[in-house]
This record gives sequence, structure tokens and C-alpha cells, in this order.
Amino acid sequence: MRHTLSILLQNEAGALVRVAGLFAARSHNIDSLTVAATNDPAISQLTLVVHGDEDTLEQILRQTRKLIDVLDVITLSLVGDTVA
Amino acid sequence: MNAQPLKAEIAADHHPLAGQPMTGAEVIVQVLADEGVSVMFGYSGGAILPVYDALFRYNAEHPGEGGVEPMPLIVPANEQGAGFMAAGYARASGKVGVAVVTSGPGATNMVTPVRDSMADSVPLVVICGQVARASIGSDAFQEAPISNIMGACAKHVFLVTDPGRLEVTLRTAFEIARSGRPGPVVIDVPKDVQNAALNFRGEGRLPIPGYRARLQTVQSAHVSDAECATFFAALEQSKRPLIYAGGGLIASGASAALRAFVDDFGLPVTTTLMGLGAFDTTDSLALHMLGMHGTAYANYAVDDCDFMLTLGARFDDRVAGVPDKFAPTAKFIAQIDIDPAEIGKVKPVHWHHNGDLRLTLDRLRQYGTRHGFRPRQDGRYATWHAQIAELKRAHAMNYDRDSAMIQPYAVIEAINRITQGRAVISTGVGQHQMWAAQYFDFREPRHWLSSGSMGTMGFGLPAAIGAQFARPDAVVIDIDGDSSIRMNIGELETVTTYGLPVKVVVLNNVGDGMVRQWQKLFFKGRFASSDKSLHRKDFIKAAQADGFEWAKRLENKDELSKTIIDFLAFDGPAFLEVMIDPDAGVYPMVGPGASYAQMITGDCIASRQQVAESEAARDDMF
Repeated sequence: MRHTLSILLQNEAGALVRVAGLFAARSHNIDSLTVAATNDPAISQLTLVVHGDEDTLEQILRQTRKLIDVLDVITLSLVGDTVA
Repeated sequence: MNAQPLKAEIAADHHPLAGQPMTGAEVIVQVLADEGVSVMFGYSGGAILPVYDALFRYNAEHPGEGGVEPMPLIVPANEQGAGFMAAGYARASGKVGVAVVTSGPGATNMVTPVRDSMADSVPLVVICGQVARASIGSDAFQEAPISNIMGACAKHVFLVTDPGRLEVTLRTAFEIARSGRPGPVVIDVPKDVQNAALNFRGEGRLPIPGYRARLQTVQSAHVSDAECATFFAALEQSKRPLIYAGGGLIASGASAALRAFVDDFGLPVTTTLMGLGAFDTTDSLALHMLGMHGTAYANYAVDDCDFMLTLGARFDDRVAGVPDKFAPTAKFIAQIDIDPAEIGKVKPVHWHHNGDLRLTLDRLRQYGTRHGFRPRQDGRYATWHAQIAELKRAHAMNYDRDSAMIQPYAVIEAINRITQGRAVISTGVGQHQMWAAQYFDFREPRHWLSSGSMGTMGFGLPAAIGAQFARPDAVVIDIDGDSSIRMNIGELETVTTYGLPVKVVVLNNVGDGMVRQWQKLFFKGRFASSDKSLHRKDFIKAAQADGFEWAKRLENKDELSKTIIDFLAFDGPAFLEVMIDPDAGVYPMVGPGASYAQMITGDCIASRQQVAESEAARDDMF
């Protein structure tokens, strides 16, 4: 199942690498990744598309929330390929 | 060691040095002093020289009583040694261990201790020198991408690119290292940032709002009355409840809370390797360690229990090799952990609380008591307690006591008869580590220092050195193997250089014993690379060359008891090599990919069922 995750991240040196590295280290392929500025220059928004079942997704969400510079993680879609 | 009061409390008001001009290096040293650091471990080099110089000057300008340095810097043979010394200090004291190393190889030699500390949740702050900002990315001399490398290993890594943020970054690093689930924090400081002209502020931290908000949520998480009621409704139904406690219990300082909980409710306790000492192993309700090399009685109790309370433990593969078959008859599994990612990660649980262990245990105990849950008085667990006592009697740890060769278990028992579970024990990794875990008593937390999750050979000697700095008056013993100690044998000299009364025991079975045990079981006894009978090392000469006045080899079983007494009584560093039975195995053993019911107990421990030893283990299990 495909999931779209939106991650708000403090704009620190190496923060993007830490998120990407976490997914790689825990065997998650990132299908696509976009980084965008937000109104606050200290905060970036990452949008990731990943594959995995519900349990796998929940676990990687929890691991992502352990990263110090992560402000928030939300899933944008949970059902198949359609955005819910 | 010259423990200083935590000056951070003064800083909260107005730091006496606020506004004073300092270099970046001086700022680093001042924040370390403010954080209460009383010893640090590290090796010098080009990119960290300004910090070393500032520390030298600080120590000269702030002599303690008798002229002792307030923050001595302990120099290892290799930076990995410094990392494990800091980790040993942190594990034995509960305080943040500090290591300071140079760029490039200095920093990459720290990768193993940082990863080891992450895996075992040990608080460290590691300061690495880095090439000057203008040179980063130019393949400069002794340059390595430390924030990339450590980012994958540490709880967090900072690369300080703005000198103005150096001070708050350092303070924040200590906060991150010791809060929540503890772990190592690495700060990479370019040399020109160390030389920058700054004004000391004496206060301030980095904004890390996401981390702080999540931490606040977990630390203030309250177990509601309804959640307590669910918990006790299940416990009321239980006839055979069991506590499975891990390292989180020690990290959170919840041992006393567990003691009170067990005193009131009478649940037997088994601990993981990391949890040894969280509950007095000599207690009648203690089942010692569970898991792959746990006691047979602990593992049988896990198989028999109908209710399991999991405290700061994570169903790791050395405990729950087959999660579906772990605690197979437990109708209710509860889990309390500070890390949300550990709840249900490996095994689904029926009840959980994501919060501080000490507060949660106290809350549950008070709720239960207030609602009339008095199993000690109504005797509802009397049968279970009798069953536990019988398991401990019938399946007690044992070995071939009549063997002509020195058995490693006998060595541990002889030491334990003298130290009585009060010594601080560190280990390498392998058979000797498991024998020490199995045959020592552990009366208190922070007396057992062992690389649990990473399983890093070479951990024992530097960890013992760090622990001796944390506990200068304690008996600190490194129980090591001949292969493990080789990994960091350079640190023997560190022991004598600093005059530490560390006791080193090498259980010599002429090779990698645990590897040979697996090769016997799963590779038809082909000892690929694990036999060291052709190696020429004379450990006694090595210890003597490094300044050990007491260095002896024990080969005769009859001299065991007297030698151990002499060894431990020696006032100073002592080194004892014991030539043990090279075929001695670690039993019980739950093979990789096997359930507890398939546990092999060996020739001397009674098993509940006949289990055939075979190469049945799936060859992809580790």
C-alpha cells in the first residue's frame, strides 16, 4: 500500500540526511521525496511517498518522530493509490 | 572523582561569567564544567588542540583540594577506548559520559562506542574536532563526514557551523543525551569555531520544539483510573503473573519502585541481560536472566506464566527469538516503556503505557493497594510461588564440578563468594560474558556493565576503567575472554598509568569460544578462524610489560580458591589469566530461531523435555 507522509523539519545541517537515512536503515524504499520551504525559514516540509502495510507504516512513523529535528509527521493518504 | 555541584542551577539565574569574552574552546570547557562533568576521556590531535589547550588551562586555574584537577582528561591507547571508558563511566554512575577526540580517524574510532551506547541507551556527549569550515568538503587532512556517519548511529549529531550557536548547542547536547530514552549525542566542532572570539552567555539552549513537546507528553503521561482498572482486572484473573524487566528499569532509576511493587504484589521477576541488577538476583522471587542463555527456570517461568508485565524491555531477538512463541500461554501482556516506538514493535501487547517507569509503577501500586488488591495477604499466588521455587530448585544452574579442568563457572562462583554481588562487573562479549551474567549475583543496579545489544568485543577493559573513575572506592572487575581482551588490550597500560585498582580476569579458552559453540552446533565442528592454539600471546608478560605488578596465570584447579583470594585482595591493578576447559559451553541455550520449549540445557542442568541437538536452526538466523 502506498502512503504519503508529510514531515515538518527544523532546517538544520544534516536534517534531510537523517530522515532519508532512517528510512534506508530500516529498509524502507522512498518512492519520491520533495523538500519545500515554508513560511518560516527555520522549517522545511518534506513530502515522502513510501510503500508498506499499516504496521510497517506505524513503526516508521514512530521512528521518524524520534528524530530530534522532526516537528511533526502526518500521513496524507492511507488507502491504495487514492488520496483519502 | 572530584564531583562538583551542578553549576547549571546557578546559571539559571545569572552566570558569574556571563558576558566574559572567551574563545569557542573556552566556551566548550566552561559548559562542560557547568554541566557537572568531573572527568572526560579522549585523545588529542590537530583539529581538537584548541579544546585540549583550554582544558589544560582550566584545570591549572581551578585546582581542587590537594591540587587535583577538577576535570582530568584520561588518555586511552585508542579513541575507541575513550568511548567505552565514557560509556563505562555513564553506565556505572547514571551520569553523562564525555569523550573528546580529534577529527577524521579520532572521530571514526568513536563510531563503535557511539553505536554501542545508542543500542544500549547510554547517555554520552562526544565532542569531535573537525577541519575548519572553509575546508569542509575539500578532502582535507584528517577530514571525515562525521555528521553523516554519526547521524546514522547516534541519538543526535550537531555540526556547529555558526560559532554563535556553539554554547547553546553544547548545553542542548547534554539535555538530549540524558532525557527521555538516553543516548549518545555527537558534536562536530570545526577548528575555526573553537578559535572564534565569543562572549560567554551562561544560559540558553537550542529550540528543539518537536523533541521537547514529545518528551513532555511522555513524561507527564498519566495512567488513568480506567487504564489502571483494566490492568488490575487482568491481574486479578491471573494465577501465574511474571515481570519481564529490561535495561529501561535501570536507566529510569525505577529499581526501588519495582522493589516496592513486588513487595506489595508478589510478582516474580526475570530480567534481561541489560536489566541485571534492576532487581536483587538473590531474592526468592528473582529468576535471574531470561533469554537465549537465560536460566532454565526463568525461561520455563516465561513459558508457564499467564500474565506478563514488561518493564523497559523490548522483546529483542535474544529474548524473544520467535515472538509468536514467546510467553505462549500469557493471556495478557502489558508493556511500559518511555519510547513509543518500542510499544508493540516486536510483539503485540494487550495493555501499554508510554511513560516514565518509576512514576507508572508507583501509580499502579498505589491504585492497586487503594482498591484492595492484596495478593500477599490473600495468598492467591502461593501455588505459583511454590512452582517458582520448585523450578529454581529442579532446574538450577550447574556444571561438571568434578572435572579435572578449571571450569569457568567455578571461577565466577569463587569471585562471587568474596564480592557477594556488590562488585562492579564489566565484560567483553562471548561465552565469558554469558557465564558472568549467569553465575554472578547482582544486588543493585549499575553493577553490571556489558555490551548487550551491539555485542562489542573489547568493551570490558575500557568500560572497567571508566567505571573505576565513576566509583573510585568500588571493586571493579573486568571479566574478559582471551579474544575479547585482545581487541582493546592497549588499555592495560591505561589502567596502570592512572593507578586504577581495576581487576582483570581473562578466562582463556584459546579462541573465540562462543563462535566455536555455534560451529559445534551448526557447522559440524569446523572451527573456521576461531581456534587460537597457534597464537603466541603471553598475556602475563603483556600485563607485566604494561606495569601490572600482580599478574598470574592459573592452570591448576586446586589453586583456584587461594589465587582468587590473593588476586582480589591485591591493593592495586591486578591481572589474572585462567586457563579454562576449552570445551566448556554456555548452557542453557535457546538456539537462534527456536522457542523456549526447545531450549538445550546441557549435561548438568535438568530439562523439562527431551530436545534433540541438531543443525535444525535456520541458517539465516543469527
